[in-house]
Amino acid sequence: ESISTLSSLNKSLQLIWVVYAVRGCSGLALPVQRITALQAAHSWSQLFQEKGVSEPDLSSRYITAHVLGAKTFESVKAETLSEPLCPEKTLQIWKLCAKRLKRMPVQYVIEEWDFRDLTLKMRPPVFIPRPETEELVDIVLSDLQKESGSLSILEVGCGSGAISLSLLKSFPQLRAVALDQSEDAVHLTKENALSLGLEDRLQLYHLDILKDAEIILNSCSGVSAVVSNPPYLYTEDMLSLQPEVLSFEDPAALDGGADGLTVIKQVLILASQILLNHGRVYLEVDPRQPPLIQQWVESHLQALCYVETKQDFNNRFVLSQMLMS
Amino acid sequence: MVWRCYPSFLQTLKLVLKPSLLNIHREVYRKRRLLDGQLQNAVFKRTLQTTASLLAPRILSLEEIFARTSLQDYLKQVENEYNDCLNTVNTNETQEEEQRAKRTKVSCLSPVIQSIRDLKAKEKEMAETEVLLKDDDQALRQLAEQEREACLHDIQVFRQKIVDLLIPEEDADLNDLVLEVTAGVGGQEAMLFTAEVFDMYQGFAHHHGWSFDVLEYMRSDLGGLRRASASVSGDQCYKKMKFEAGVHRVQRVPKTEKQGRMHTSTMTLAVLPQPTEISFSINPKDLKIETKRASGAGGQHVNTTDSAVRIVHLPTGKNINTGVWLQQERSQIKNKETAMKVLRAKLYSMKLEEETSRRYQQRKVQVGTKGRSEKIRTYNFPQDRITDHRIGMTVHDLESFLRGEDLLDEMNSSLEEFSNQEALLELLGETDQS
Repeated sequence: ESISTLSSLNKSLQLIWVVYAVRGCSGLALPVQRITALQAAHSWSQLFQEKGVSEPDLSSRYITAHVLGAKTFESVKAETLSEPLCPEKTLQIWKLCAKRLKRMPVQYVIEEWDFRDLTLKMRPPVFIPRPETEELVDIVLSDLQKESGSLSILEVGCGSGAISLSLLKSFPQLRAVALDQSEDAVHLTKENALSLGLEDRLQLYHLDILKDAEIILNSCSGVSAVVSNPPYLYTEDMLSLQPEVLSFEDPAALDGGADGLTVIKQVLILASQILLNHGRVYLEVDPRQPPLIQQWVESHLQALCYVETKQDFNNRFVLSQMLMS
Repeated sequence: MVWRCYPSFLQTLKLVLKPSLLNIHREVYRKRRLLDGQLQNAVFKRTLQTTASLLAPRILSLEEIFARTSLQDYLKQVENEYNDCLNTVNTNETQEEEQRAKRTKVSCLSPVIQSIRDLKAKEKEMAETEVLLKDDDQALRQLAEQEREACLHDIQVFRQKIVDLLIPEEDADLNDLVLEVTAGVGGQEAMLFTAEVFDMYQGFAHHHGWSFDVLEYMRSDLGGLRRASASVSGDQCYKKMKFEAGVHRVQRVPKTEKQGRMHTSTMTLAVLPQPTEISFSINPKDLKIETKRASGAGGQHVNTTDSAVRIVHLPTGKNINTGVWLQQERSQIKNKETAMKVLRAKLYSMKLEEETSRRYQQRKVQVGTKGRSEKIRTYNFPQDRITDHRIGMTVHDLESFLRGEDLLDEMNSSLEEFSNQEALLELLGETDQS
């Protein structure tokens, strides 16, 4: 028993060495012998590391877990990880990891990601929801819980549908209107709504808040809350973004203009026209923006009143609230 | 704030765990049905007041317990207390507040009083029957014999009922729990054993119909388990699982051993009662929630798949946190929820220990996290046996035991009974002093 363990250990060391020896410049060559999931993840992690791919370890583990039918490496059974992979699975890992090597985000590579308790389909170039936005939903949820009766919200820039669908899932009496300037985003939100069975309470529009303000005003009014994770990056910061973000995600979902406030201002103007009395606006913004937003609201929109800014738990991203008064 | 007392409490804890302090004369009894079982084969030595190592406890039957004057005295005292309260309530002479307290006392005591009366009635019946046993008529003697058997049975039932009613309930007995396994000494072999024990308790939970949700699972390279935690909920899960906490030791020739030498390795199991939302709250300001991406840009600036979260409870410092990065889920907020669950359980069990440490410190069967540094059980593979050191109980057949089904349940029940008996004797001891 002990001898066989040793020899198989030797074999695996040899194998990794072989794999490296025949590696081409565009990634890892497919191994000739059968290897385990652990070995596959390890080899790719090393290559990602060498090539400067961000989160090398997590990337290879998430991809391997996905191919094995699990969400995280941690939730795969120990025996499964140390069993030799079948050739089809090995090939699949190799194909997916090659995409990651070209800096495609893991979420696009495995075509799905989790947002709160939802698993959502992900597809380029639709914006991938960030962890900070899970907290934005927390804040909206805790406020909506205090309300009673039928509630409705408007989401501007729904992307994959993360915010609206999370809220709809938590509140059976809630209805939502969601819009996005990108047709890809609207399609993806639709797909996600269908697979979660939430399409009945969601109205989707392919509209651009900067151009189609009139149409939006006519098609939706009297909402209890406006929620948005609008593009808030400063245009000058766009070029210094990671390749994962810059080359794969829709710039329109990120670029907020010279001061990052272009879309934010439009959302606030729209909100002041369609919110019910005491309705609220919830926005995720850059930490530099809250004082500017407060100032602008006070001088331009009498109907709205700035409430507060909450920081996410890394004290980095902020979630601002405005109240209709 | 309760947590201010933490350092002094830690010192108390150290004292409690010193084995020498545990060399205290203890007697225990067991239910009659188990006397006929395998426990009879275990070695029961008379305990002596010496500084020698822990001696296996002696187990008393119900008859022996009821033969003790301390118990009889205690029952008399309970009856007197009951009668006093009843008099006060009926005469209606005292203050409203005192009245209410006495009324509560009466309703608390009435079940045990009823059982005491039932027992007395049966004992009287028994005495009458015994007279008939000497009768000249054979048919009558036979009838009396049958009568006596029935009486004996009923007496046992009432005695058991009294004993059960006297044993105090634990505050946390009805709670759900978080179970945490950690590999101890022994490297990879300890980690392999940790994985087996974790599976065993998963089986145990399944056996009892409890839910078992893995919160965290950190495996080692060779398929072992460094540490893991799980959330367990279901009927009486804490009441049973609390007896499993402590250091589990394995003796065997590891798979990785080339020379065939036997190794001794350990793993630790912690069982933390999960507080209910109402019974225990934490001030959010006392928490520091950390992610690995705390520095640098976030939000729309970066793409990340790192959802690991760690929470530190500031008043208690680094001693109480979730210890490791929780990355069981792809969603950061879900990992945060899990981390909170673990943290709440840890803080709550600390609070419980603080409240009950004095009450428990002289018991052999330590429950909750206090058992942590105490070796409670040995799994010896060459001899195919499992020995629990607290009650000196040995069972055989490791394969069945590790399935977490009947065999583990049997040992667990013995521990529960043992612990109940300790609690009862403690109760009687206190009465003797007062």
